[in-house]
Amino acid sequence: MSDRSERSLLPNGLRDGLAPEAAHESAVLERLMRHFHSYGYDRIDPPLVEFEENLLDGVGTVMGPHTFRLMDPVSQRMMGVRADITPQVARIAATRLRKQPRPLRLAYAGSVLRVRGTQLRPERQFRQAGCELIGVDSPAADAEVIELAAVALRDVGIARLSVDICLPTLVPTICDMFGLDRTQVFAALDQKDASAVAALGGEAGALLMALLRASGPAKTALEKLAKIELPEPLAIERTRLEAVVARLQKAVPDLALTVDPVEHKGFEYQQGLSFTLFARGVRGELGRGGRYSLAGKGDPATGFTVYLDTILRAAPPPAPERKVFLPTSTPDGEGARLRREGWVAVSALSEAGDDAAEARRVGCTDILRDGRIEPLKN
Amino acid sequence: MATSSTEPSSQSAPGAAGQSNEPIVLAVPKGRILKELRPLLSKAGIEPEPAFDDPSARQLTFGTNIPHFSIIRVRSFDVATFVAFGAAHLGVAGNDVLMEFDYSELYAPVDLNIGHCRLSVAEPEEMIGSDDPSRWSHIRIATKYPGVTRKHFSARGVQAECIKLNGAMELAPGMGLCRRIVDLVSTGKTLKDNGLVEIEKIADVTSRLIVNRAALKTRPTEMTPWIDRFREVANAA
Repeated sequence: MSDRSERSLLPNGLRDGLAPEAAHESAVLERLMRHFHSYGYDRIDPPLVEFEENLLDGVGTVMGPHTFRLMDPVSQRMMGVRADITPQVARIAATRLRKQPRPLRLAYAGSVLRVRGTQLRPERQFRQAGCELIGVDSPAADAEVIELAAVALRDVGIARLSVDICLPTLVPTICDMFGLDRTQVFAALDQKDASAVAALGGEAGALLMALLRASGPAKTALEKLAKIELPEPLAIERTRLEAVVARLQKAVPDLALTVDPVEHKGFEYQQGLSFTLFARGVRGELGRGGRYSLAGKGDPATGFTVYLDTILRAAPPPAPERKVFLPTSTPDGEGARLRREGWVAVSALSEAGDDAAEARRVGCTDILRDGRIEPLKN
Repeated sequence: MATSSTEPSSQSAPGAAGQSNEPIVLAVPKGRILKELRPLLSKAGIEPEPAFDDPSARQLTFGTNIPHFSIIRVRSFDVATFVAFGAAHLGVAGNDVLMEFDYSELYAPVDLNIGHCRLSVAEPEEMIGSDDPSRWSHIRIATKYPGVTRKHFSARGVQAECIKLNGAMELAPGMGLCRRIVDLVSTGKTLKDNGLVEIEKIADVTSRLIVNRAALKTRPTEMTPWIDRFREVANAA
């Protein structure tokens, strides 16, 4: 007994996927990937493990503390197990696909491994799926990836999706322009603490305060933002935000959109308009994305990643599946015919005294009798 | 849960605007802070059902005069957990708790200006004078805040080995568990009674209104008025 319990124990944050959840996750993933493909995003499949310096380059820098390392006995170099797939896609776009015409649209899906789970997401291994749109720096590109994320998530049953758009470069720019201490400003803004922001004082304090106050539903946020006198580089970002929101309102009219001009936490390496995907009543975020640039030539890029574990928590549970039991007396070819019709057909491997009881025991909902499918009564 | 039979507040509460009939849950800590918080709730237009003010009531969830707005009463550390996981949407927690957990899913938009105290290091009176903190490489500390303690000392290059206690920290030095403690200090009387002296302040502590990140993002028109209301009330106090 203790031997068996010990063998079933897994390390923290790792789990066995069983039926029906494992199949459900694959089905949801497949649906997402179909949407990504329908917008022209070609699937690529990077390896699980790469050299550490490539994995943690550029947008990957932030994943350093989350990455498992191992030594490659062959090359004697340090390798990392991917904790995020985006840096791999960025690497592929900047190297192997550098000559491919832009815009380059790439999609991916796969498992990632992290050193530590968080309290909110204790899983250390989970699946990601996402898209990257490389080589175009325009509101049209920003809007396309948000639209795609929203359309795909809704199709897998996430009804009350909500997209929060942020401009993570705004606050650092203001800090630099006015010579403010970034740590102090971020501490106040990350808490959304209006009093602490007000206490910063001066022109910069008033500006940050106005930006903080502008957060909320997209329509009112844009109205408030429009009234704020913004210095030149910031006004450009605002124009972009307006363009993206206008496009999204046309493309996905009933999508709940919010704007948070001062959101910054977790977007440290983003270089422009970014966003977080939420669903009402669901803990944590479903995914996130935003603008970054590729290592090397610095191609502009944007994209998003969604987390399958959160999506499955937010999506409706799988519909109960019907399975038909084929007793040993079933004529040859019947099973093949039913499976062609789309049935899940489970063959009896040996003679059973009571076929109906045997069918229930192996988890079937129906039974084949005299060439007809009959539902089993409990 | 019955709606409160107490007189409705003269002010109309933000939730009463009737934006949504989805529940809003406010998590509040039991004990000392609750006493200071109670008048703020009234000023914010929240009148809990009578059982809320009965310390002997075993009830944990309380209805209020505002439809779909309920209050839960839990331990102060658990307020942050309930709100971080989205089980409660709003909460009241000291920044000591927020520092200890550092949840990314929480915002703390309003300093309620109640529950004033400080998080400090204390040691037995007789150690003062003979102790030179600059020579420490490793110390052992009894505390309810192992996270904050470790971080505080590691910033000075000192490794802190924490003994996690859930209360009566002041007993630890006298009973030979360890020599130093990190705990909340308000008047300093408990320390003094146990022969301890406060040697260093880690942080000033007050209670904050906290809000779940996903709730603020997905229900901004319901959450923002509550944040504004608590800010007004806290500033007016």
